Amino acid sequence: MSYCVHCGVELDPSLKRCPLCNTPVLDPNNIPYFEATSPYPATKGKVEPARRKDAAIFISVLLSTISITCGILNWLVFTGTPWSLLVIGFCLVIWVICIPYIFYRKLSPYLAVFMDGLAVSFYLYLISRLTGSADWLFYLGLPIAALFTFLLEIFILSVLKINHSAFSVTLYIFSLIPLFCIGIELLCRNFLGSPLRITWSAIVLTVCVIFIIAIVTILLLPRVREEARRRLHF
Amino acid sequence: MKRDKHTKKPVRSIWYKLDLSAIVYPTLQRRDFSSVYRLSVLLKEPVKPDILQKAVDMTLPRFPTYKSAIRKGLFWRYLEPNDRPGPFVQRDINNPCMPMPFKENNRYLLRIYYYDCRISLEAHHSLGDGTGGMYVLQTITAEYLKLLGSSISCGGFVLDIDEKPDPEELEDAYMRYSNARVRPPRPSEKTYRVRGTKEPFYTLNIINGILSASEVKKAAKKYQVTITEYLNAVLLYALLQKQESENPWKLLPVRIAMPVNLRRFFPSKTLRNFITMIYPSVDPRLGEYSFEEIVLHVHNYMQYYINEKFLRGDITTNASTQRNPFIRVVPLFLKDFVVRLFYTRVQDKNSSAGLTNMGVLRVPEDMMPYLERFDICMGQPFSRRTNCAIISFQDTLTIGFASSIKEADVERYFFRKLIQDGIHVKIESNREISQK
Repeated sequence: MSYCVHCGVELDPSLKRCPLCNTPVLDPNNIPYFEATSPYPATKGKVEPARRKDAAIFISVLLSTISITCGILNWLVFTGTPWSLLVIGFCLVIWVICIPYIFYRKLSPYLAVFMDGLAVSFYLYLISRLTGSADWLFYLGLPIAALFTFLLEIFILSVLKINHSAFSVTLYIFSLIPLFCIGIELLCRNFLGSPLRITWSAIVLTVCVIFIIAIVTILLLPRVREEARRRLHF
Repeated sequence: MKRDKHTKKPVRSIWYKLDLSAIVYPTLQRRDFSSVYRLSVLLKEPVKPDILQKAVDMTLPRFPTYKSAIRKGLFWRYLEPNDRPGPFVQRDINNPCMPMPFKENNRYLLRIYYYDCRISLEAHHSLGDGTGGMYVLQTITAEYLKLLGSSISCGGFVLDIDEKPDPEELEDAYMRYSNARVRPPRPSEKTYRVRGTKEPFYTLNIINGILSASEVKKAAKKYQVTITEYLNAVLLYALLQKQESENPWKLLPVRIAMPVNLRRFFPSKTLRNFITMIYPSVDPRLGEYSFEEIVLHVHNYMQYYINEKFLRGDITTNASTQRNPFIRVVPLFLKDFVVRLFYTRVQDKNSSAGLTNMGVLRVPEDMMPYLERFDICMGQPFSRRTNCAIISFQDTLTIGFASSIKEADVERYFFRKLIQDGIHVKIESNREISQK
């Protein structure tokens, strides 16, 4: 029978250290204390991992079947235009979006968003091939997709590295929305050949700036922050 | 549709609505967390697994809500009878109460373990509370002992497996008693939260303190309070000391979440959840509390809140959300999202630790000679903190702490206080094995 010299509790004969304070059990007479069996088994249990493999196989088979059957239909029956490229491209985009959720959960969120951007850009390229016009793709489609991907990467970076409280996330959203709107307006004006200035996006910017100032004030003043949390909790 | 073999009439398929508490637990399910609790019984002889399996197979049909699987509906989850093989008894593991994915283990939401002389039952909280689980465990144990040739009578927590389940055992008793005219608001205040180093996945640190119930009773009597009030006060005292050692400049109220067994106040035979939470607390910002003051404060709090009137009001508040027609028509995935958000942002921050006391267990006279003691584990805490569960059998009172953090400061302050009050404590733990 051994006792912890610090805590005063009696220790189970199987314990070599006091679990409360980590003090080792020392026996001056060197009697082999630790022969006793522990009341707890040594083996650790593990839960079987969730079976995402089934969902991955199902989605892959479903999307490839849709792509292949549409391809065959386009090749043999409705042969006028290569319309099946649109369906195949869409299936590819869905598959790429599903990768971090079903196929490989450890995929970095930055890489996942980048791949989503690439997939959408590729889909836009297919549409341009089908419609036979490339101007809108290079001056509008690809730059908007790139801008959206870039802003989404910044959002993920801010959430993961800076702060992810509800107020901070709202702040990031209100900061990125006007940037996206300004980008869209400038790209549209450039595409249409109009002078490069902002009009409707300036309204979005003003509204968002008001929200940003309000949120920053709440975040900077602890008392206001606590009050807002209390009043807005749901 | 299934038809009756004899009458050829269509048979209505059986299913059970989740009770009011059970609705929340599946929502909180994460890859690394399930609301699972564990009850164990220590026999005087080593357990024979094949006999135990027979006892489980014979007993479980008597508990239809425990022999079930959880399913998703459009608006709510529900339980449906599970006729798949199992649950199978398995050799115990070092990390009890590990996550319980709903689709694993042949969809059973309970596990039965054996190790040396111990039989353990782990059940998902959506099936029932500790009292319901204790009925299952003691009935399995009684059947096991009967198969070994002993004569065990029914009574206490042991039910007759040849009887049909009483409909009252399957009821959602909350709905019967949630009829107060007012709905008292829920307490919601930011409280002290234990900080600690998170243990790796698949680790649950258990520290079991084995005490003499009469010694604890004597110590509690010294302060003129009950055992529950005394142990609550000791835990509050330990948490205050822990907060003082961590951050003495920014003190927060220390609060314990304690489930109260409503069967004591509202007669019901239900084997499902029938508990409500109360929150004894101490606010160190008001001044330094001596232990005697904490004990008195907890005693007054319990006297004021634990009575039929207040508890009825509390369960009415909880039931009002489920009764609201606008909430009922919201699809399940939206409810899940909101409930999870509410729990992580408000409810989980509402208490510093959990404490439950199962009280003194009633066991049939002829079963007593075969039993050494009972253990209880409240399960993995939702956040980084420690949960404390108490159970007594004859003169043995077991206090089980479960936490997923490396530090054992709260446990140390807790047991040292008991030693100071002259109570002999024997400690068992799985911690050392985990550190290998």
